[in-house]
Amino acid sequence: MRYRKQLAAALLVLLILSCLSACGNSGNAQGGEEKVRLMVWSPSEDQSVDSGAWLRLCCDRFAAQHPEWDITFVYGIADEATAADSIAQDPEASADVFLYANDNITTMTDAQALAKFGGKYEAAIRAGASEAIINSITLDGHLYGVPFTTNTWFMYYDKSVFSEEDITSLEVMLSKGVVSFPFTNSWYLPAFYFGNGCTLFGDGTQEELGADFGGENAVAVTNYLVDLIKNPNFVVDADGSGMAGLRDGSINALFSGSWDYGSVKEILGDNMGAAALPVYQLDGEGRQLYSYSGSKAVGVNAYSEYMVPAVELAIFLGSAEAQKLHYELRSVIPCSTDLQSDPAISADPVFLAQNDTFDRTSKLQPFVSAMGNCWTPVENMGKSIRNGTVTHENAAQQTRDMNDAMNSNGIG
Amino acid sequence: MKSAKTRSNVIVHIILAVLAIIWVFPIFWVILTSFRAEKGSYVSTFFPKAYTLGNYVKLFTDTTILNFPKMFVNTLIIAVFSCLLSTFFLLSAAYCLSRLRFRMRKPYMNMAMILGLFPGFMSMVAVYFILKAVGLTEGALIRLALILCYSGGAALSFQIAKGFFDTTPMAIDEAAMIDGCTRWQIFTKITLPLSKPIVIYTILTSFISPWVDFIFAKVICRANADQYTVAIGLWKMLEKEYIDNWYTCFAAGAVLISIPIAILFLKLQKYYVNGLGGAVKG
Repeated sequence: MRYRKQLAAALLVLLILSCLSACGNSGNAQGGEEKVRLMVWSPSEDQSVDSGAWLRLCCDRFAAQHPEWDITFVYGIADEATAADSIAQDPEASADVFLYANDNITTMTDAQALAKFGGKYEAAIRAGASEAIINSITLDGHLYGVPFTTNTWFMYYDKSVFSEEDITSLEVMLSKGVVSFPFTNSWYLPAFYFGNGCTLFGDGTQEELGADFGGENAVAVTNYLVDLIKNPNFVVDADGSGMAGLRDGSINALFSGSWDYGSVKEILGDNMGAAALPVYQLDGEGRQLYSYSGSKAVGVNAYSEYMVPAVELAIFLGSAEAQKLHYELRSVIPCSTDLQSDPAISADPVFLAQNDTFDRTSKLQPFVSAMGNCWTPVENMGKSIRNGTVTHENAAQQTRDMNDAMNSNGIG
Repeated sequence: MKSAKTRSNVIVHIILAVLAIIWVFPIFWVILTSFRAEKGSYVSTFFPKAYTLGNYVKLFTDTTILNFPKMFVNTLIIAVFSCLLSTFFLLSAAYCLSRLRFRMRKPYMNMAMILGLFPGFMSMVAVYFILKAVGLTEGALIRLALILCYSGGAALSFQIAKGFFDTTPMAIDEAAMIDGCTRWQIFTKITLPLSKPIVIYTILTSFISPWVDFIFAKVICRANADQYTVAIGLWKMLEKEYIDNWYTCFAAGAVLISIPIAILFLKLQKYYVNGLGGAVKG
């Protein structure tokens, strides 16, 4: 009996010890006046020593610039795509400063967790970024962050197969090599529909206008896609098959974003090319493909206890200096207008392709909440065309059905 | 007669063999992928073109972005303690409900039945805020929070164990009590040894559920990457930024997490099978 009690006690102690041990959060304190505790979230690559620990470096520089604050930094891991969910779940226990992707902006504004930037801060942000990028993080006239990169997809291609001239036209590319496109992914497929004048929520913010993917122009695109999928040189990219094809040489061009730069560069080496989207031929006329675009920004928690230091830190993390460092350490494509002329950066093909795509061949991804209804119908359209369910005979009906589904929340 | 029997045996065995292949196929594929030398998430051939141990090595050495060893240890600690606690809770509750007669016995069993109809993650957000109010959602205390989450509800799923205890005759308990045993002694010295299969079953299930849980860990860990469990880590490896580089490591991780469960099962299996012989039935 007795030794059982001791065993139980020992287990309990062990349990408590194992919970109490292990690393606490590291911080950085310097002599100063006001004590400030800032929690900062970023993706793990920004904190990894192997890729230069961008976040820590920037925070240390920031602390050095502000001796009036005695800042303790608490670092957490949250990537741009999912930070919004954690913040909306419980803003009070979330980071003061964090990185987020602009399509999540409403998740956080609905939770009233995202601080608005105004006054001199707003002026400073506007001075360093293009109008289009500012619009991507503006909601109802309020600015919600400091943009640090654009977020879109563009084209990678094999320079030994396609010339600079070829890549402006999809048809020419298909006649010379194999092109892979994420046809069943609704982040990519609307590119064709946008090319022929279809719109989503007017200019992207007019929720009452709904999706316009059901007119004659959309039917024409569906018909075009039914033919396109039959082209043996057009391959559907799904579950990583595009990258695998590039690796074994069966595919010469694919559509993806800067996150795949490392892999593509490794496969194609000096033959790697990156460019904005090509034009496709519909009824004898060229139509431009348009990708969805967005941005990534540094946001500040509206519940932050130390608002001024938090906003100042956000401005610093989105500054040209921090963007340049981000580019050097992690190849995050900068968007600051001050860096456009930097020779080291402006020679980078991915930088050129991404910014060219953003400026010229992309549509701002709407973040009105009705946008949530638009993804699945488009994905289903892509799958149905691939499966052969959609034909020239029923293209008109299927396109209208897709449009109806995009304009309905599926409940009422 | 004999040839008919042979024929039906052959047919049955062929069907079983086909089913076995179908069942084992995905596992076999994951194991093959974990040794695949080609990178990327998509390959056109079933068998890898080249084999390597590099995926396992990378999983344990490339720890700056996704720290798999740390996650493995976190999960192991959480699973071991949750397993001990919830096994104890569950068996105690089952014993009380099987052997003791008290006023709330029936209402408790009804309540447990009804509560059991709701999925656990329904209360997830509420659980998070309660843990936050107690201060368990920061730093290393997250482990304690998860252990509490996984073991706290164990006493509600007593049904199977209670059913098993019910088959042990009351006469044994009464005989023990005449000899001067306390309830606790009956429980530990008589009921448990007679119920090995159900004890083993309880240990297995209460180890596996925290070991593979994703949703509670995700909600409670949030941005505390040093507290991640393997389920979150494996999920991260499949995100678009990582998938091309980490896919084969994901398969390696999947193989590794099955090892503790396999060891536990193999070690306990003999009780499992022997025990089915059962207690001294009245």
